[in-house]
Amino acid sequence: MDYVIKTDGIQKVYNMGAVDVHALRSASITIKPGEFVSIMGPSGSGKSTLMHILGCLDSPTDGRYFLDGEEVSKLSKSKLAWIRNIKIGFVFQTFNLLPHLNVLKNVELPLMYAGKKASKRNEEATKILERLGLGDRLHHKPSELSGGQRQRVAIARAVVNQPAIILADEPTGNLDSQSGGDILSIFKELHEENNTIIMVTHDRNIAKIADRIITIKDGEVFDGDITN
Amino acid sequence: MAISLTESVYIGFQDFWTRKLRSLVTIIGIILGTMSIIVILSLVNGMNQETMKWMTERGGLAKITISRNWESKNPLKLPDYFSLKEVLLIKSLVPEVEAFNATIYLRSIFKYGANTTFSRTVGTFSDFEIIEEWSADRGRFIRNFDVTENNNVIVLGNTIKNELFGSKNPIGQTVTVRGQQFTVIGIMKYRFMESNNNLFSDNPFEYMNRTSVIPISTMINKFGQKDAIDEITIRAKSADEAIALKNKLEDIVLNLRRGQDIFNVVSAQEEAKKMQESALMFKIIFFFISSISLIVGGIVIMNIMLASVQERTREIGVRLAIGARRFDIFLQFLIQSVLITFTGGLVGVLLGVSIVKHVGDFLKTSTLVDINMIYIALAVSVGIGLIFGIFPSVKASNLDPVEALRYE
Repeated sequence: MDYVIKTDGIQKVYNMGAVDVHALRSASITIKPGEFVSIMGPSGSGKSTLMHILGCLDSPTDGRYFLDGEEVSKLSKSKLAWIRNIKIGFVFQTFNLLPHLNVLKNVELPLMYAGKKASKRNEEATKILERLGLGDRLHHKPSELSGGQRQRVAIARAVVNQPAIILADEPTGNLDSQSGGDILSIFKELHEENNTIIMVTHDRNIAKIADRIITIKDGEVFDGDITN
Repeated sequence: MAISLTESVYIGFQDFWTRKLRSLVTIIGIILGTMSIIVILSLVNGMNQETMKWMTERGGLAKITISRNWESKNPLKLPDYFSLKEVLLIKSLVPEVEAFNATIYLRSIFKYGANTTFSRTVGTFSDFEIIEEWSADRGRFIRNFDVTENNNVIVLGNTIKNELFGSKNPIGQTVTVRGQQFTVIGIMKYRFMESNNNLFSDNPFEYMNRTSVIPISTMINKFGQKDAIDEITIRAKSADEAIALKNKLEDIVLNLRRGQDIFNVVSAQEEAKKMQESALMFKIIFFFISSISLIVGGIVIMNIMLASVQERTREIGVRLAIGARRFDIFLQFLIQSVLITFTGGLVGVLLGVSIVKHVGDFLKTSTLVDINMIYIALAVSVGIGLIFGIFPSVKASNLDPVEALRYE
């Protein structure tokens, strides 16, 4: 298998009453296993839509999408939930940790939905948190952590199920440059361990740390940085 | 891969615990509802039990009574009492009974020396003691030969004895009733039923202690009460046989009065059944009345759950993004709603059981808690959680993950 993601002319059309809005026009992308790809584009360019489709949160109106060798564009909603659980790890700009659960429980969530036993969950979540330097924060609530630490928890949650791809949506957008740098170096490390990472950003300097940049503009996809 | 029920219950508990104050306020309606179910069902149960006790004490469920039907207009002006001849005819037609008795009631003045009192005087056969399960505990009761020989003998009720004789031994003494001299041959056993039901007086059986018994023949021949038999009482061999026997007696009595319903034939068994049926009706009606507060409680819970779904839209989005299926989300909210109502039900049952005694004392009536009403109350509270939890849970599970993640 020479790709982990392959999209074939996927389109997304939103029907807004009388007008059809083409958020995505015939996007064809191929991403190899172990690649680190940045998706760049201004707001309203369709990059969120692309990310939602790549993350199986949304289905394309047309076209085909293969993830890890399986065509996911035609799957049922509960099958998509399973794909999101097993094959995709999300890192959001706003962290999206559950505020009433402690750090450990937050990271255990994907393992729980994967049906793993409590003892196994605890073990795996602790291991990954320790690796990310949060071993002494296991029982803290997210509100007791700094932004950088919260994003590290979110990364731990994203990778704990060893997904086929890690999808990061502006992961440094809510962080100061120091913590943002820390987060980016974690992504670099993950990349060195052969994880496939797709990072959405509007910041060229951040996008540059990836192997490859894809630009999206007015719903169309281009190779390389073509924003200027 | 769905998450297990235990996981869902665990998440439910977590949610419940995270929002302690809100959960507590939410369940008040359910607590009050289940509490009132327990109290009301116990009150009806207690009343039922009291009535059954009363019936059993008065001769048991195998007893059949034939007496005047006061609702009959008696347009043909037929005799509304039985003659002794008719009573003996009826007796010969029902040889299968265990005991047969007929009674004439007469209020009379009793005199002993300077003492005077009123007593309800009953003329009977000797089977009275079998049917009423009541006899003399000093001296003896009326025997068959007293009836055949029209003897002037009397068995006094306990209160009458006290009023006439005080602490003096009454056996063998002579009392005057309606100008006739009667020899006291015995004293009826003192009757008492404990009752904390204010429908009755302190001792609902006091009227029995004011009753004195003489042979029916003496009543007829010496007090001129010919053809004046008020009541026939019969004991069947069993409570079950009583119902068939009752139908047979009804036919006999109708035949004696040209098909006119001048007399009522009542079986204690049948009465008990009727009473139980009306008690059940009572229970059902009160159950529905107390269910109203449960329904109101359910609506409150639905409202809170809808608010909770709204408030947790983003959390639902996150859960969906990291792999929760719609069914997992549905279960999470439904179980939370059931946990709230079940907890309310549990607290309500505990409070209900602990106050029921005090309510009974306050109303001066007896109460009876049985395990079934506890199950009913708990089942209803779970049912309320399920019914009113479904809509918010469906709403939560139908959220679009993209929209939910964007929700601020």
